[in-house]
Amino acid sequence: MLGADRRSGIEQQEARLAWRLILPAFVTILLVALFPLLWTLWESLHLHDLRMPWLGKPFIGGDNYIEAFRDPRFWSSLGHTGFFAVTSVGLELIIGLGLALALNRAFRGRGLVRAAVLIPWAIPTVVSALLWRFMFEGESGIVNTVLVSLGVLREPVVWFIQPVAAWVPVILADVWKTTPFVALLLLAGLQNIDASLYEAARIDGASAWRQFRHVTLPLLKPAILVALIFRTLDAFRVFDLIYALTGGGPGTSTEPIALYTFNALLQNLQFGYGSALSIIVFVVTFSLAILYIRFLGAELTGAKR
Amino acid sequence: MGDRCARLALATLLAVGACSGASTTGPIVITFPISALGAEGQVLVRQLARFMAENPGIKVEQRVTPDAADQKHQLYVQWLNAGASDPDILQLDVIWTPEFAAAGWILPLDEFRPDTADFFPSTIAANRWQDSLYALPWFIDVGMLYWRTDLMTEPPATFEDLVREARRAKQQPGIRYGFVWQGARYEGLITTFLEYLGAYGGRILDGGRVVVSSDAGRRALTEMLDEIYGDGIVPSAVLTWHEEETRFAFQNGESAYMRNWPYPVPLMQDSSKSRVAGKFSVAPMPAGPGGSHTAAIGGAQLAINRRTEHPEAAWAVIDYLTRPEQMRERARVVGQFPTRPRLYDDPDLASGLIIPPATIRQIIDFAVPRPVTPVYTQLSEILQIHLHRALTRQTGPATALAQAQTEMQRLLNRAGLGTGEPVARR
Repeated sequence: MLGADRRSGIEQQEARLAWRLILPAFVTILLVALFPLLWTLWESLHLHDLRMPWLGKPFIGGDNYIEAFRDPRFWSSLGHTGFFAVTSVGLELIIGLGLALALNRAFRGRGLVRAAVLIPWAIPTVVSALLWRFMFEGESGIVNTVLVSLGVLREPVVWFIQPVAAWVPVILADVWKTTPFVALLLLAGLQNIDASLYEAARIDGASAWRQFRHVTLPLLKPAILVALIFRTLDAFRVFDLIYALTGGGPGTSTEPIALYTFNALLQNLQFGYGSALSIIVFVVTFSLAILYIRFLGAELTGAKR
Repeated sequence: MGDRCARLALATLLAVGACSGASTTGPIVITFPISALGAEGQVLVRQLARFMAENPGIKVEQRVTPDAADQKHQLYVQWLNAGASDPDILQLDVIWTPEFAAAGWILPLDEFRPDTADFFPSTIAANRWQDSLYALPWFIDVGMLYWRTDLMTEPPATFEDLVREARRAKQQPGIRYGFVWQGARYEGLITTFLEYLGAYGGRILDGGRVVVSSDAGRRALTEMLDEIYGDGIVPSAVLTWHEEETRFAFQNGESAYMRNWPYPVPLMQDSSKSRVAGKFSVAPMPAGPGGSHTAAIGGAQLAINRRTEHPEAAWAVIDYLTRPEQMRERARVVGQFPTRPRLYDDPDLASGLIIPPATIRQIIDFAVPRPVTPVYTQLSEILQIHLHRALTRQTGPATALAQAQTEMQRLLNRAGLGTGEPVARR
């Protein structure tokens, strides 16, 4: 009796200590994450337009959200974001996996190649965006010159004035820049796979494809999921690349949701409406993150078993 | 002796301490954010130094601000919205004055009795909001047509002439383009469009009513489209071009015509960098049927922060900088055009400018302000998007203008400034 009492007393003490220890972290998170979020939420329920100060700052409930849902530009920017995320992340995953498999092999100068692969990732996004813009720009840009002389194009294309063609430099620039990151994550995953599994598979007479299909892929799944989470969430918030590369044009045909939000919030100073857009972006990315984490959590516990 | 010194020192200390709050000893400090670089910055430094020598009671401190208009605007809004009393003087883009005035961020200047009659009426109109003057025009920019004097004998009077001449000029070796203008999706596109629109007699705004979706609007936009895709005199690449890209094309001798502001004149006259030095001149943009030559107004205005603690001193600085002598100096050194018409008759000015003052005056006489409204930048963004969609052939010109008009009218109505229905008429 007495012993049990004392133990629960100790447990309580420990629990209290634990709370006290996490309190600073908890308060910090509250201050830097939750407070701005709630503030933005509150702001999004108001008509607050710095360009129209004479309208005041009345509470308008969900009107900003209704306006967003009625705005075709909102839906098209959401569509562009989804398209960009699926295309660029898909390509990055495929190419990144190939790159990781190649880098995982033992060859001379591997360290050097591994470092070199990371160069695009190390270049600031805006710089690489301007680089790609320069290559695609004008009728006498590098890309046009090369493609015309190879006979791929009959005449130069003005990439940035065509709603579909303008996506080509955008996707290419993103794939070029972030594939190394994906490859690095997957390489780490590959190195965690026990070499004896391949040995066993070889002894059983499994072909290279079957080894890849039944040994590499299942064991690489956690690494793939981590790469997917990071990349999808990043792709969903894409801003700087497109801002510097196409500015969302021609018209608004490459405008992602983050650029639309930036325009509303910082160019047009529509604080209420812009906050509503920010909240929508937050909800979408947060749901994606939750979805992924549930997946990933199951994967990780599955791996433990 | 030592004792007296100590007592004097003590007294001084006390005196300084007593009036540290509202210093009456030092000069009044006026802050002036400015992004002028190079020769333009040097002229300003010289002029401010002369001002301070004449007015020892006032000290003007320059603040460095970003060069890009959008960034400067954001910075100003942050300062003014926070109610800062500093900076005292603001350098405004012509399209910001109504916005800042309506927000109550800048002082009406009428009480200082500026000699508005001595300025171009169009520049004064652009700086008025609800019957008060809020900023004084410092220098004026106008959109104009650059033409090659070695390829033709006179500038085109109409777009028809321009298209014909441009086609002929394109036959010449080295001439890749007939005509280049600013067509990227940004404010520059609006100024280009405004000049085409005026040529056909159209307007963007009529009081609180958006009237851009008119017969004139459709004809103007169709003319722009035809020049790109029909006549082929304007390269489709202009739809990604700003001022500088057009200047490079013209300066390299690749284009017969260019629409631009006055700033390229001194740059292109430099024969070490320009292939067209001495081979170009300027004229008003062409007219079309039903309208007249039109020039969009740009340039800089000076205004006073409403929260300033020294409105009189701030006005003294503005008054000094906008005097005829300073304008003459700016024209001579950096080629910026004065906002006072009578200076154009001044032989001194003629000797300083590359383009004859009479030609410049003629263009300024066709000057038209962009819509004078506090929500101009938002209106402009809507119009930019729809114009760009039409020019990149994502929608037809009539649909684009109708949609732009609907959205612009809705914005005006929401702001309480509209008098039209949110549905496109006609």
